Amino acid sequence: MVDNQLVLAALLLVNIVLYAPLVLAATGRRRRKVKADNLAEAFTGLELALKETVPDLPAGFTWEEAVARLKSSGVKTDGMENALKGYEEYRYGGIPLPDLDFNEVVKVANKLGRTSSLRGSSGVGR
Amino acid sequence: MGAEIRDRVVAEVSKVVVGREKEVDLLLMCLLARGHVLLEGVPGVSKTLIANAFSKCLGLQFKRVQFTPDILPLDIIGGFVFNMKEREFEFRRGPIFTNILLADEINRAPPKVQSALLESMQELQVTVEGHTEKLPFPFMVIATQNPMEFEGVYPLPEGQLDRFMVKVSFRYPSKEVETNILRRNLTNLDLNEVKTVLTVGELDALVRQVDEVKVSDEVLAYLARVAEATRTEGALVLGASPRAMVQLLHCARAEALLKGRKYVTPDDIKSIASDVLTHRLTIDRAAALKGVSKNPEAILTSILDRVEPPR
Repeated sequence: MVDNQLVLAALLLVNIVLYAPLVLAATGRRRRKVKADNLAEAFTGLELALKETVPDLPAGFTWEEAVARLKSSGVKTDGMENALKGYEEYRYGGIPLPDLDFNEVVKVANKLGRTSSLRGSSGVGR
Repeated sequence: MGAEIRDRVVAEVSKVVVGREKEVDLLLMCLLARGHVLLEGVPGVSKTLIANAFSKCLGLQFKRVQFTPDILPLDIIGGFVFNMKEREFEFRRGPIFTNILLADEINRAPPKVQSALLESMQELQVTVEGHTEKLPFPFMVIATQNPMEFEGVYPLPEGQLDRFMVKVSFRYPSKEVETNILRRNLTNLDLNEVKTVLTVGELDALVRQVDEVKVSDEVLAYLARVAEATRTEGALVLGASPRAMVQLLHCARAEALLKGRKYVTPDDIKSIASDVLTHRLTIDRAAALKGVSKNPEAILTSILDRVEPPR
């Protein structure tokens, strides 16, 4: 009787050791969910998400290359590309931050962690 | 406007030159950035034809000079000749006084002639015996050279290569393009098919617009980081010069305009960096012998992959 309880306790411990990292990783991923209040924050979030989830993306990647990479992985980028035009104009053209819909950018950023095909492929779409 | 003009020019030149859209693109970009082009390729890959068709579709004056070992500087830039009627010396302009000069097989001319031409390319004027004349606007030299020639040639030294804004390598066409070239040549090629699609006024306006294309401080800093990376790269003995980076900047502005934008993005720089910088980079021969470095293009790609652009 006592032996059975010991075995059960040991099995419980093994399960905790096995599943705890998975649970922690899952909650951690949820914590990293991208949130943004404007277009610039959305693209900053997307940049971080790309760096985290696509480790073989070279440090020198540009937005055009990132979009090509996302497209080749089957991620829909139409809405994001429209926002990107406005963001680039703000970033490099010196206009005030445009009031554009950035939900698509946030959506792509949050989708990245769940898109396993983005990992491990070589090149950035050049 | 820029993107529409680019399409017009590429479509018009493509009437006689098959499968060289990217090369036409680079010629137009270079013309707008006020630079000169070096075309490198084996004979018979349409280097001369593309130069001719390009100038025709822009309605520009075109002259061709075949460089040979016995050519003299006077044969290109001109010189003073005695006018018997007026009983005085007068300046007779050489073929350099044109809009587009095709310097065919530039590496066959002796260094004295090469340097006379390259000096004029830099200063956009000609000076002979104290007499100075400005070259017409626009002025672009399209020089060609055959990379497979080793006998009787005078390879351009690094300092002179640096004066060419862009080097375009003409490789053999793919099987599909070759088939199209053969099909296109079933009837005689007639350069008269190429129509002028851009007025001098439009061209002038475009060149002015290039100067108005914005470049943010962060993009300038990115260019400086790329320059630094080429100079500290172990596989290279000679990185990009400040002149090379200035020319890359001008090209990026022209490229942005031709894409219909009024600001430069890091993508503009990365897309043309290889065409502008590769011919100016010198590989460390010792590293090359050890198999460390492959070629300047691969080294530049790895540098651009490392240097983080502003996002």
